Amino acid sequence: MHELLLFASVPAHQHHELLQQLAGLTAMQPRHRVERRLIFKAHRQPGMTNTRVGASQDLQGAELQRLNKMLNGGMFYTQVVGPVAKAEFGAKPASASSGGADVSMSGMEEKPSTAPYSYEDQPWKLEFRDIPEAGTRSAVTARLMASAVLPKGDITVPMNAWGYSFVSEYVVEGDVFVLNDIVIFMHRVLLYPTSGVQESHGPRRQLPAYRELSPLERTGSYVLQAAITVQDGANQEMMKTASQHLFGLREQLKSAVRLEQADRLSLDPRAK
Amino acid sequence: MADSFSLPLRPLIEKRDRPDTLPLEIAQINARWGSFRDVNEDTLRAKIEEDKNRDPYSDDDEAEKAAEDVDSTERMEQLYKRRAEIQQFAMQAHMETLFALDFVSLLLSKHTPRQAETSMSTFLKQVAPLGSLNSEIVNPPPKPDAVGQDIKAVSRGWRLQNFNAAANKLLKSATRLETEVASESKYWEEVLAVKEKGWKVCRLPRDRQALGVQYGFMEATPIFRDRGLAALRRADDGSLILDKGLAPQKTRTVRVRVKHHDRFTGCSKVRSSPEVDSIESRILQARDTVYEEELFHELVREARILGSQRVTTRQNLVRFPISEEQEVLLDLVDADQDASADDSMESTEHDALADALSHSIRILLAYAHRQNLRRRTQPPPPLSQKRRHTPEYHLLRPIMAYLQHSSHVRSMETFLTDIYRVQKAAGLTCDFHAAPFSSVKLSRMHPSLPKVEGLVQQFLMPFESTFSGTLATPQSSFKVRIRTNPVAPPFGTLYDISVNLPHYPHVQPPSRIGLQKEAADVLTHFAMLEIVAAIQAHGSKLAKDSPKKDVTAPLTWEAAYPHHGELLALSSAGQNKKLKISLSQKELTVEAYSMRGLDGFARSAGAQSPKLRSQTWVPDQAGPVASLMDFVTEVSRDQS
Repeated sequence: MHELLLFASVPAHQHHELLQQLAGLTAMQPRHRVERRLIFKAHRQPGMTNTRVGASQDLQGAELQRLNKMLNGGMFYTQVVGPVAKAEFGAKPASASSGGADVSMSGMEEKPSTAPYSYEDQPWKLEFRDIPEAGTRSAVTARLMASAVLPKGDITVPMNAWGYSFVSEYVVEGDVFVLNDIVIFMHRVLLYPTSGVQESHGPRRQLPAYRELSPLERTGSYVLQAAITVQDGANQEMMKTASQHLFGLREQLKSAVRLEQADRLSLDPRAK
Repeated sequence: MADSFSLPLRPLIEKRDRPDTLPLEIAQINARWGSFRDVNEDTLRAKIEEDKNRDPYSDDDEAEKAAEDVDSTERMEQLYKRRAEIQQFAMQAHMETLFALDFVSLLLSKHTPRQAETSMSTFLKQVAPLGSLNSEIVNPPPKPDAVGQDIKAVSRGWRLQNFNAAANKLLKSATRLETEVASESKYWEEVLAVKEKGWKVCRLPRDRQALGVQYGFMEATPIFRDRGLAALRRADDGSLILDKGLAPQKTRTVRVRVKHHDRFTGCSKVRSSPEVDSIESRILQARDTVYEEELFHELVREARILGSQRVTTRQNLVRFPISEEQEVLLDLVDADQDASADDSMESTEHDALADALSHSIRILLAYAHRQNLRRRTQPPPPLSQKRRHTPEYHLLRPIMAYLQHSSHVRSMETFLTDIYRVQKAAGLTCDFHAAPFSSVKLSRMHPSLPKVEGLVQQFLMPFESTFSGTLATPQSSFKVRIRTNPVAPPFGTLYDISVNLPHYPHVQPPSRIGLQKEAADVLTHFAMLEIVAAIQAHGSKLAKDSPKKDVTAPLTWEAAYPHHGELLALSSAGQNKKLKISLSQKELTVEAYSMRGLDGFARSAGAQSPKLRSQTWVPDQAGPVASLMDFVTEVSRDQS
C-alpha cells in the first residue's frame, strides 16, 4: 500500500478554531485518539547475513534471492502503535508493583473501580513506513506503508524474535476526522516524564498521569496530517486521483492552514 | 434617520416680482386671438378639444386621401417622380458631405498631411497642393449686451433645469433605497428567524452570492443529500422565497396500502400539508418531501434485488405479498391528492397495519442514515480501482421477515392450541408453552450503542420463536424453533424441530423444514406416536394392576405399527384385537377391531375385519365423554 500525505503546522492558539472548522468541513465530530507508540529498530542477527554457501556458480533460486535481499537490505525503524484511553493514564496499578513480569496476572483478582491500565491486554499494531519517494513531481509526500495487527500484551518478546530491539516510546494525542477518502489527523507528540530508571529497557507497564506528559514541541502546537492510502502504488491513475483529492482539501483549507509536502529526509526511517 | 438629516436638493428659486409680464402676455394674446372680446371660455375649450382630437399625422392622411383619387398609372408616375426626388436629395447630401470632407481634409493637411491625405478626393489632390489652407482664431466682435443677457438667462435656465433633474433623480433613488433597505431588512429578519429556528443557513456552493438553507439529510444518498439545500431568495417586497431549483414544489409522500383478497382494506395516513404558508412550513415541507422521495427511491432499489421473494416493482409502485391473500403496495403520491384515492378504499380494517408499516420504513431509513454516518466516520479502506457498492438499505426485508415470521408463529400457535385441545378432550395430560419472538431481547443491547439504534438493530437480526411442550407420555417433550432471517440467505422461515421420545429413541424429525404444513404434519405424527406409546404403557399398567391371572384379565397392547397408529392385543383365547388411532388438528379417533388369527398382521387395517367400537374426541364436546384411557381399558376388558 502507498500513503500520500500533506502536513501543516497548527499553532496552539489556532487548534480549537481549526477543530471547529474541520468538524464543519467533514460534518462529523472529532474522534479523540491517544496512542502509545513504541519505536523498534531492526538489527542484524549475527551469522544470519550470508545464506550463500557453496560455489559461486550456484544459481540462486528466486526464493533464496528474495530472502537474501530481505536479510541484506536496508534496516528500518518501525513503530508499534497501541491505542489507549485517556482514563488509563495515571490509574493506580492493579496490584502493588512487585516489579515482576506477572504483575497484572497476579492482580487479576482484585479489580479497582477505575479501569486500570493493563499492559497484558494492550492491543498493538505494527506500522511500517518507508522513506518517502524521491523526486516525485507532484507536491505530496508519497511513501510505501504497511500495517499489521500484532498479538496483545508484552510485545518486546515477539519483536525481539523478529530481530527488532526496543528503542524508545512516546505518546501521540490528537483528533481524527474523515473526509471521504482522506483521514485528517491533528495530533501532537507527548513525551513521558523522565524518571530515568526505566529508560530504554522496554515499554512501560504503567502509564504516568496524563498531565505529567509534556509536549515534544514546547509551544504545544499541533501537526495536521492529511493522509490517503492507495491499495496499489504502481497504479499511476489511482495515485493521481489520490493526490487530486489531497489538493482539493488543500484548496478548501487554504484560508485556515497551509498544507504542504514534508521534508523527505526528516521522514527517513532507515537505521544506519 | 431620514428625519434627522435633510438636505435641500432643489435649487432655490427666488420669486421675483415681474411687473412687466402682464402687458407682454396681453400683447401675446392679442396677437394670437385678436381682440379680447372674441376670446371666451367656450371657444377656448372648443379649441382645446379640437387640438386633443386632432391626429398629429392628419396632414399626411389628407395627402393620402388625395392620392387615392388618382388612378394607377398616375400613381406609378408619381412614385417614380418621388423616388427620383429622394435619390436626388440623397445624391446632393452625399456631394455636400464629400465637399465637407474635402474641405476639412484640406484644412487639416497643413498639420497632419499624411492622415489628411487618405481622406482627400483625387480631384482635390490634383487641384490643390497639401497644406494650402490654414485657419486662425479670430476674435469675434463684442456682442451687444442684450445678447449677453439672453445667453445668461438661457444658461441659467438650463442650469436650473439640470439641478431640478438631478434633484429628482437623487430623491427618486433615495426613495428607492429606502424601499430597498426596508425589503432587505425584512429579508434578513426572516433569514435570521429561519436561523433561530435551528436551520443551517449557509452560502450556496455554486452561487456564492446567494444564501441557502440546508434542510436535507447529510447521510442520504448523494443525489438526495444535494437536494437538501435550497436557496433563500428575496422577493421584490423582501419576503423570503424558498428556491428549490428544478425540484417539483409538490409535497409527495409514500403511501402504504394493504390489499386483502384484491380489495384495498387499509391505507396509511397521508399527512396533508399545513395550511399556514410560512417559510418554516415550506422548509419543513421540502424536507419531508426529500425524505419521502429518498425513501421511495431506496424502496425501489431494494425491491429490485428482492425479485426472488415475489417483490415486484412498477414505475411508481412496489408490491410485496405478506401471505397468500394479503399484499402490501407502496407508492409515492402527492400529499394533496389522497382524497381522490380514498374512494377505492373498501374498508379500513387494516389501517393500523398500513400505518405501522409506514412508520417502520421511515424508522428504518433513519436507522440506515445513522449507519451511513457510522460508516463514513470510520477510517476508509485504501483507495483502489474497485468501486465501492453502496448496499441496499434494509427497509423491506425486515418488514417482510417480521410479517412472515409472525404469520408463521401465529399459525403454529393455532395449530398447537387446536391439537392440544383435542388431546385434552381425550383426557391426556400434556401442555405446551409458546415464546414468540424470543430472539428479541432488549436487555441484550450493547451499552455503547445509542438506545434507538440498539432498538432497531434488534429487528434486523434473525427472528426466532420457540414452542416447547410435553406430549402424551410424561417423559417425552418437543421443541420447535422457528427462525426467519431477514438479511442473509437462506431467506424465508425454517422450522427446527427437536424431540425427546424415550419410547422411540431412533425417531428423529427431518431437519430444515420449510413449510408450515410439513411442520404441522411432523408434530401431529409425533403426538400420535406418543399417544400410541401412552396406550401401550397404560395397557401394561392395567395388566400389572390386575390381581391375578383370571379370564377377565385385560389385554396387553403391543404397538405393532406405531407409525400407522396401530396397536394389537393378543389374547390367549385367540380373540385378537386391533386399535387404530388417527389424530388430526380437528379430532382424535380411536377404532377398535377384532381380528381372527395372526394373519391380521399382514393385512392392511381391516376393512374386512368387523369394527367393534370407535370413539372420536373433538375439542368442544357437548356432553361428558369417557377419556381415551377409559376407552382403552374398556376395550381391553371386552373379552367377548
